[in-house]
Amino acid sequence: MKDHLRIPIFVGIFFLLALALSPFLWNFMTSFKDKGEYFTYPPVFIPRSFSGEHYLQGLKLGGSRGIRDSVIIAVTTTALSIALGSLAAYALARFRIGGENLAFWILSVRMMPPIASVLPLFLFYRSLRWLDTYQAIILTHLLMNLPFAVWMMKGFFEELPVELEEAAEVDGCGRLGAFLRIALPLVAPGLVATALFCFMFSWNEFLFALILGRSRVVPVTVNIAGLIGGHEILWAEISAVSIVASIPIIVIAIVLQRYLVRGLTLGAVKG
Amino acid sequence: MKKRNVVALFFVLPVIIILLAISIFPLIYSFYLSLCQWDIGTGAARTFVGARNYLRLFTDSRLWNAMRNTGLELLFGVGTQFLLGLSLALLLNRVFRGRSLVVTLFLLPMMISPVVVGCIWKIIYHYQYGPLNFLLEKIRLSPVNWLGSSSTSIYSIILADIWEWTPFVMITLLAGLQAIPDELYEAAKVDGATRVSTFLWIVLPLLRPVIIIAVLIRVMDAFKIFDLVVLLTMGGPGQSSETIAFYNYLTGFKYFSMGYASSMTYFQLAIIVIIANIFLKSWKGREMA
Repeated sequence: MKDHLRIPIFVGIFFLLALALSPFLWNFMTSFKDKGEYFTYPPVFIPRSFSGEHYLQGLKLGGSRGIRDSVIIAVTTTALSIALGSLAAYALARFRIGGENLAFWILSVRMMPPIASVLPLFLFYRSLRWLDTYQAIILTHLLMNLPFAVWMMKGFFEELPVELEEAAEVDGCGRLGAFLRIALPLVAPGLVATALFCFMFSWNEFLFALILGRSRVVPVTVNIAGLIGGHEILWAEISAVSIVASIPIIVIAIVLQRYLVRGLTLGAVKG
Repeated sequence: MKKRNVVALFFVLPVIIILLAISIFPLIYSFYLSLCQWDIGTGAARTFVGARNYLRLFTDSRLWNAMRNTGLELLFGVGTQFLLGLSLALLLNRVFRGRSLVVTLFLLPMMISPVVVGCIWKIIYHYQYGPLNFLLEKIRLSPVNWLGSSSTSIYSIILADIWEWTPFVMITLLAGLQAIPDELYEAAKVDGATRVSTFLWIVLPLLRPVIIIAVLIRVMDAFKIFDLVVLLTMGGPGQSSETIAFYNYLTGFKYFSMGYASSMTYFQLAIIVIIANIFLKSWKGREMA
């Protein structure tokens, strides 16, 4: 890298980063503004006071319930995806069961347009009287998380040397023992990364939650959309809830750094 | 050998059963529905109509309007994401302190929920009180009715989508760039290659498989744009910013025409299957390389 280009490049990077992050800053400022400060021209950039009152108000307007529902749904669907997905991934990676076709069939489920799956599922749940229940949304979120977990974990298992498990089997561990006691602990970092991705996908999801939730189950994404569609738009409260809902995701983004590319390309590009 | 396979089968069976139950059986059912007329809002009985729903697809101008909007997103949205993402990746492909923090900050728009993205841009685009029009007036341009005019609404959705997804292209291409060994750059330098020719004849060809994967994923996602439409415009004004996924949602869950909505999902499935096959082929090709 030639030295005289170094400074302009860093100025450029910094400028672009500031530009990319400015919408977040505006949202953050809005969450502290009073009505007179966001419905005014010229716009107010910095609010008069930084009190948490709109946060409390936003959480009361369904935000806290939404977060509770999102936690229940995301944690359950993540646990199921990891438990069932890593078992299947192990079988695919180690015994090549079903060959490539089974593996790619599982992946293809992940690529389907969500609207195509949710339409018949809505009718199924309707006849089961499952609309507006946790289990309907949890099960439907498996559509994206189960294939995802299988693919990610398959990649991680394939990177392990097979000799360790073979030795364990010779020593009298069964297949399941070799999986639980040898392979699984060795892929622990990958397992955690996969779980965090599953949590994030479920937490951020909107279409399934909107169609399958209603009044008893309202995940936070649906809650925010509902506040925006209301008669009187309470911008500060909406901004506040959207910021609270983004905090877990920002933490996950920082923890996941190393695995981001791999997860977001379904393992097609290993970062 | 036999026993091993039986154990392995038990390992994959739960996943297969669940995916059959929530994916394959529902799709078989909705294929049957796509051959029926069934308006669950009116309580009328389901009647078999054969291919009539599929024929209707071709003459439904509202569907083709939605397809046109998807085309605009592919052209301007995915196109811009690619060019911007590639430039950012090239800028960030160097060693400096705090690099991983900078990269993570760039990624935030795509990590947070699309609902939050919609909520942020709804404030920014506000005609009277939004910061964007304020800035335009500061530089003596006239304000734009971003979300309220049928000539701009879809472009406003595309702009928000560019903000959200450029980081995806950036990080994927950045991973591709970092896989290129330093020796290649050095060898090119020794041979007297300029920066431009190194980029065109060494970097781009090596990056090609990663570019294909990143763009194909974005193309598939472009057909699924839904959240931003609901949050920003609800498809309006009129039908000017309806996307295919959103129109499909309206048909099924607002007008309750389950039969016609099902045929529309199959129309999208056909498109996605074609793109997904190209994606998988290029992936398998990469693994062999």
